[in-house]
Amino acid sequence: MNQEELNSKLSEIKDKLFAVESGKSRAGSDNRIYLSCESENSYAVNKFLFEDVPLRFVTATGVDSDDCFEVLYHYAYDQTSCVITLKAFIRDREKPSIESIAPFLPAAEWIEREIHDILGIEFNNHPDMRRLILADDWPEGVYPLRKDAKKPADRLDGEPPTRPMVQSQSPARRTVQLSKPVLPVGPFHPLQEEMEFFQLTVDGEIVTDIDMRISYNHRGIEKISESLQFDQVPLLVSRICGICSASHPLAYVQAVEEIADITPPERALYVRTIIAELERIHSHLLWVGLAGHFIGYDTVFMWAWKYREPVLDLLEEITGNRNNYGNLKVGGCREDVGDELQPKMLIELDKIEKKTEMLTKAVLDDPIIHARLKGVGVLSKEDAIQFAVTGPTARGSGVAIDVRRDDPYAAYADLDWNVITQPEGDVFAKAVVRLLEVLEAVKITKQAVKKLPGGPIATEVKEIPPGEGCGHAEAPRGETFHYVRSDGGNRPVRHKVRAPSYVNVPSFKASCIGGHIPDVTITLAAVDPCYSCTERMAVVDRDGSVLHNYDALLKLSREKTARISKELGAPELKMEDL
Amino acid sequence: MGAVFEGKDKEMTQALQNLFWILIFPGFVFTVCLGLVASWIVRKVSSLVQWRVGPPFFQPFYDVVKLMGKEVLIPEEAQQTVFKAAPVVGLAGVLLLSTMLWRITIDPTRLFVGDIIVAIYLMVLPSLALILGSSASASPHAAVGTSREMKLVMGYELSLVLAFIVVIIKSGGQLSLAAIAQQTPVFSISGLLAFLAALLCVQAKLGFVPFDMAEAETELASGALIEYSGALLAVWKVMQAMMLVALPLFLVMVFLGGFTGALWAGIAKYVLVLVLLILIKNTNPRVRIDQAMKFFWFYCGVVLVAAVILAIIGNSYGINWL
Amino acid sequence: MSWKIWSLKKSPWVFHVNTGACNNCDIEIVDLLTPKFDVERLGIKLVGSPRHADALLVTGGVTRQAAPRLREVYRQTPKPCVVFAIGACACDKGIFTTGYHMVGPVDKIIKEIDPNAIIAYVPGCPPKPEAIISGVVTALSVL
Repeated sequence: MNQEELNSKLSEIKDKLFAVESGKSRAGSDNRIYLSCESENSYAVNKFLFEDVPLRFVTATGVDSDDCFEVLYHYAYDQTSCVITLKAFIRDREKPSIESIAPFLPAAEWIEREIHDILGIEFNNHPDMRRLILADDWPEGVYPLRKDAKKPADRLDGEPPTRPMVQSQSPARRTVQLSKPVLPVGPFHPLQEEMEFFQLTVDGEIVTDIDMRISYNHRGIEKISESLQFDQVPLLVSRICGICSASHPLAYVQAVEEIADITPPERALYVRTIIAELERIHSHLLWVGLAGHFIGYDTVFMWAWKYREPVLDLLEEITGNRNNYGNLKVGGCREDVGDELQPKMLIELDKIEKKTEMLTKAVLDDPIIHARLKGVGVLSKEDAIQFAVTGPTARGSGVAIDVRRDDPYAAYADLDWNVITQPEGDVFAKAVVRLLEVLEAVKITKQAVKKLPGGPIATEVKEIPPGEGCGHAEAPRGETFHYVRSDGGNRPVRHKVRAPSYVNVPSFKASCIGGHIPDVTITLAAVDPCYSCTERMAVVDRDGSVLHNYDALLKLSREKTARISKELGAPELKMEDL
Repeated sequence: MGAVFEGKDKEMTQALQNLFWILIFPGFVFTVCLGLVASWIVRKVSSLVQWRVGPPFFQPFYDVVKLMGKEVLIPEEAQQTVFKAAPVVGLAGVLLLSTMLWRITIDPTRLFVGDIIVAIYLMVLPSLALILGSSASASPHAAVGTSREMKLVMGYELSLVLAFIVVIIKSGGQLSLAAIAQQTPVFSISGLLAFLAALLCVQAKLGFVPFDMAEAETELASGALIEYSGALLAVWKVMQAMMLVALPLFLVMVFLGGFTGALWAGIAKYVLVLVLLILIKNTNPRVRIDQAMKFFWFYCGVVLVAAVILAIIGNSYGINWL
Repeated sequence: MSWKIWSLKKSPWVFHVNTGACNNCDIEIVDLLTPKFDVERLGIKLVGSPRHADALLVTGGVTRQAAPRLREVYRQTPKPCVVFAIGACACDKGIFTTGYHMVGPVDKIIKEIDPNAIIAYVPGCPPKPEAIISGVVTALSVL
């Protein structure tokens, strides 16, 4: 289906809409579509868009306009690089409410809870309207993203400074009825670098239920962004998540460039590609190391992180910082990839490629890793679509989506590379996708360095006109989506961020239940969750089961090892070579 | 009169000597020091495999001293007495075991210093103590750790006993450790199989990867020991260090002929066993508890039953290499 | 110098607490364990339970939801212990100062329950691993 057919399909619901506008994307093509409707019609239109077109749900944005509330539902149509935004207007400011779309679209469950938290909009018929991103002691009736909101006073829980004996070790143990054994994971747990709270209900070693509470990392970035100037925001959004600190600013500047109709110079596009791909390399290597650590394979952990260091050194040489590069700005980049650096980069990239190939072989050929990871934490293709997961989590389940290919940005359209997919959907498939993606990323970076055109790295940006823009970029973990609205002033009036983990994390409810405790931890880790991006929670009470037969697994894993090593076609390598 | 005093004196000297045996050399102090050195070797070799520099020589010693100086926190819901007593019980078990082993090594002619069955019982004590202590701590993480430790004990204990049965058969029904230590059953098919199986059981007893699921840091936040702190944790650490001496030493005595030859040969055997354990630790990821159980009961079990049969055949027909 | 402090310096076991950081400081902390920096040679070890820890490495500017948990972890850590505020956010909330969900920084939260707490600061966004090592060593040497 191409774009014209999409337009004709959209005309089927014309009667429910009062406005259809098409907006320009950076490339100048009309692949941003904005539909408007009244809140009463939003349920029907959403159902049509998700089920009948069908589109991939990205996220929703709540906006406090002057005279009404708006809920914006963003969809992506990956085959045509289209981003379709449905605006539902809620005219009643006193008791704002709208029909929930979560009953048919589980991916929307969290975002509706979030909008309820921050704007106070009621979602009728929502399956679970508990508090999501705000703290337990946040006062009722204070909605931080309303324009008139004030920061409430910090309330301290007045416990005495003396510390006699240790209290119950986690809040969950005080509140949960211990009729079934409950295993709290977090908020501080060595499993995750960050803080989140999982509550696993276990039956022996088998997990029967999982509940999540993730407000610990919520910093209110969307609100802070409204108080910063357009050019300051990239520095803020690069601190949403340290390890996606190229992708978030990239998505943001693309959204702003869309509003102001700016095309950055070509060299800037190549520099952006180089930074983004170097980030992908070190992020994936980091994941491989942590995954090794999670299954008790510390040797893999140490090796992968050792190989990661040269990438960080390259980034430091280009941008001045190992992480938080702060290299992107509206209209271009701040730091150039110097010509004198290019030969060194190519040498280092060759080394990284070789090491990664060896690591890939070593990991993929290890029978114990096969036995440990195959068939574990399976996310089926159907579930992947229902939960609208992105990135390696989707590609590991056979859903071939990649923003770099579907809506090309930076210099990706000029370069030769492949989208890696694996059909199985288990932890092992995700590991394979990531390892092979490192090799692709090295390939992309090398091409970009070789082809780097001359010229300036930034254009001058005078002012940002009123308007709205959607920017998205493929972060190491999946699609990062930013929506920016400008009123012609020098600050955004609304800036919505959707990080990839925000849709990837809820898929735990499909992949974890029924697994063993040790499998659950690696399953949680397998989506490479990034809670500083996500900062949310969800509930699960569905019963799916993952049954595995050890011998069959071992057999399968051996067959597949042979197949993969054949597919890879790399020379025979031994662990000692590493 | 004189004779009576002399007798009492002798008793006193004997008691003092025994005390010296147990507390200083070769008992507590000596084994602890040796154990701390052994745990340094484990950490150092692991770091070298991982391309790191690793800890300084005195690091395990610093760790223990530091823990002794820290505050001891006891969870409110814990069963206080058991929580505090468990590490001491475990320590006592290992202490007895190691004293016994050393005495046989140094002075094998003394009449009774225990046989292999006593040793097997003493070896279970630390695991039992760990189960007791962690279940007394009333933490859900510790509970999962405890259940894994229990399953693991049930898994490897059978294999371990079978492996020792092979040795007993090979030595012609001898139960005395001193007598068993005179032989080297590893130079036979059944003995070798039994040795390899026992090595893996010891790997599990020491809580090393791939059988460290009871203490899996990433899954259970240090598992069974999560609630322990300060001096009590130090006792656990000391106990683990002593096990690092006692268990490989036990393997050396039972399978490799002990310290019967030159002293350096005995030490070399001990180091060999230790290095084998470390290498297994560093080249494998953690397995799941059900995989471990299956491994011990099924694979190890079958191999060991075969070894027992081989040993019986070999013994009755006088074929030593079987 | 008492033997307790002496041995504490020789073997500082650390527990890592993220109170709403962007992940960068956390990654750099984990990086300290890996071959390039290898802090085990200084006796530093990352442990999985605050009860085993001698120092808390706190990152992030403390969100409202995280503050009670940070206090709880501090209570569970046996004394003597040192609190390290790692990164700009932990030191003074950094770029998130105006955020509605921030109640930090770290020293404010810790001092509320223990006015005598020992707190050391390692600024940077994120601090380089060398800076973290240097901060830890400097702080321990003045104990």
